[in-house]
Amino acid sequence: MDADATTPVIALHSLTKRYGIGDAEQTVLDGLDLTIDKGEFIAIMGPSGCGKTTLLNILGLLDRADDGDYLLDGRNVETMSSARRAKIRSQQIGFVFQNFNLVPRMNVIENVALPLTYQGKRRTKRLKEASKMLGTFHLSEREYYMPWQLSGGQTQRVAIARALVNNPSIVLADEPTGNLDSRSSHVIMEELSDIHKRGNTIIMVTHNPDLTSYASRVIHMIDGRIDSDTKTPRPKKATGAPKKRLDEKRKTKKTRAKKGKAD
Amino acid sequence: MRLLLTNHLRNALDSLRSNRLRTGLTVLGVTIGIASIIVVLSLGAGATRLITNQLVQAGGAIAVVRTGSAAHDTQINNLTATIAGSQATSSLTEQDVDSLGSIKNVSAVAPLMLIGGTVSSDHATPDNAIIVATTPALTDVASLPIDQGQFIDSVTNQDTAVVGQQLAIDLFGTDQAIGRNFHTHGVTFTVIGILDALDSPVNYNNVDFDHAAIISLESGKAFNQGVASIQQIDIRAKNDHDLAAVVKQADKILATNHKNEKDYTVLSGNDLARPANELFYTVAATLAIVAAISLLVGGIGIMNIMLVGVSERTREIGIRKSLGASNAHITWQFLIESLVMSLAGGFFGYILGYLVAFAIARTFLTFDPAFTWLIAGCSFGVSLLVGLVFGLYPALRAARKDPIEALRQYH
Repeated sequence: MDADATTPVIALHSLTKRYGIGDAEQTVLDGLDLTIDKGEFIAIMGPSGCGKTTLLNILGLLDRADDGDYLLDGRNVETMSSARRAKIRSQQIGFVFQNFNLVPRMNVIENVALPLTYQGKRRTKRLKEASKMLGTFHLSEREYYMPWQLSGGQTQRVAIARALVNNPSIVLADEPTGNLDSRSSHVIMEELSDIHKRGNTIIMVTHNPDLTSYASRVIHMIDGRIDSDTKTPRPKKATGAPKKRLDEKRKTKKTRAKKGKAD
Repeated sequence: MRLLLTNHLRNALDSLRSNRLRTGLTVLGVTIGIASIIVVLSLGAGATRLITNQLVQAGGAIAVVRTGSAAHDTQINNLTATIAGSQATSSLTEQDVDSLGSIKNVSAVAPLMLIGGTVSSDHATPDNAIIVATTPALTDVASLPIDQGQFIDSVTNQDTAVVGQQLAIDLFGTDQAIGRNFHTHGVTFTVIGILDALDSPVNYNNVDFDHAAIISLESGKAFNQGVASIQQIDIRAKNDHDLAAVVKQADKILATNHKNEKDYTVLSGNDLARPANELFYTVAATLAIVAAISLLVGGIGIMNIMLVGVSERTREIGIRKSLGASNAHITWQFLIESLVMSLAGGFFGYILGYLVAFAIARTFLTFDPAFTWLIAGCSFGVSLLVGLVFGLYPALRAARKDPIEALRQYH
């Protein structure tokens, strides 16, 4: 954000992460080098245990690497104190999880406003911004629903709204569609490619090869190393045409939900 | 930070409200602990206030000479010496009384000679009776209202006595006891006066006049081989503002009489109440410490429930951390939750404590519990401390949780 345009958002140099000690030691990330520029939509693929999620956790400053450097916006974040890292998390990183991870005892708008709490914003301002963000995801009518009253797709859209509310420089998504049916999956992917078009950097871990078609760059990992790194010249579905169809779909969903409520 | 504080507070109230029964029981634990401390302290303070009030009634014109040197005594010695005054060796003499009486601006001087032994009537021998030998001037010094009859005076017969109301009832079964006889040390006394019920077992004379038989100093001397063994001399100045000069003068006269041997103490003002006050504070503080054990149990309850809350909300902690909460944010979130519970317990405990204290005082005691800022501050401070001490460990435990592990819970 504060760095100039030529600085990559993320630069990893021989990043290494090990678990366990002695004989049981297991190298999860093995000297990973990776540079991610602003505005990329990256899909990370690979078999289970290849270190995708570990990489994502390190990128999201939830975990620390054992060796190597991680430069976020040109700043080395590996050596920072946990308080500084928490501050960066609150200002620059948005998380989307497979299992949504909304706080169950808070309603939708409070969940979306939660990241703003840790930026020290006032309650009214938080709720206003959260409401605005929910509006862009066509969820304004769900503001005061509790998380368990939403469908899977809606829940994930709330989670994405929450990840974006603090205007992060990178959005990290760990199998965002893993718990959704294929129709909801595509709705979510449309949303992600939509926010990608608005200039956000997105890093997504997925098992589903279909979804890589939304990404601008696909990285395959095997055994803690990058196996292949392909740039898609033009992301397939980021055209806008299906978007319209999607909006229509949403409308019908909404009316259906309303009917359900009336009953 | 201020913004987050209100946020944490709202958050804590939300989460406490979502577990009403659990929160209520935990708060009850602290409430009972604080209430028991409040009962002890408020009654202790009530007793102390009783003494102080009496001094205020005396008009601040009273000075007291006691045997023994306060300067050399330790605190505990002081306490026992004044309460068990009758056992202390007496160093005050009738000559001291006479010379103190001659000080300018002194309106009255009365010696108090406490005599051991039992008092018995034909029917009963009460075991807590006190025999006080004194001069008629006592009624001028200490305000001892007479219910019936008269106080001993210079013309009354030596074998007459004034008795406290309770003693009259204990001896004769009635407070209509004028003219009846009791025996002590082989002498028969006739009751010529009954004191009003005083309801003040503790006073600067260290004599519970409700249980006292007041006889003349001459009779008292007769029981003691003709020597007046005076434990205390009460002096009343003519005016409050003369007291300082009177005390100074008394000190000087006694120094001459005792050949500069400091075996006496002249006390006035707050010093009079201090030994008794200190005793009550010591007793109340000891009892409060015992009561604090129940508070400890309440505190452990808070810790227990907070630990349950932390492990129940492990996932939430992970979510919050991934959204940018620092360890300090998480610590405060849980600490404020435990503080809300302990302070609520402190508030309800303060109210409950006074309700119980008033119930006890009105049923069994002759004085009301006292309201002081010290006690209110104490209940606030102690409950704050309990919340901090017992909430800190769960809060730190919550903050130290690894966000990745935390997010993995309950998949």
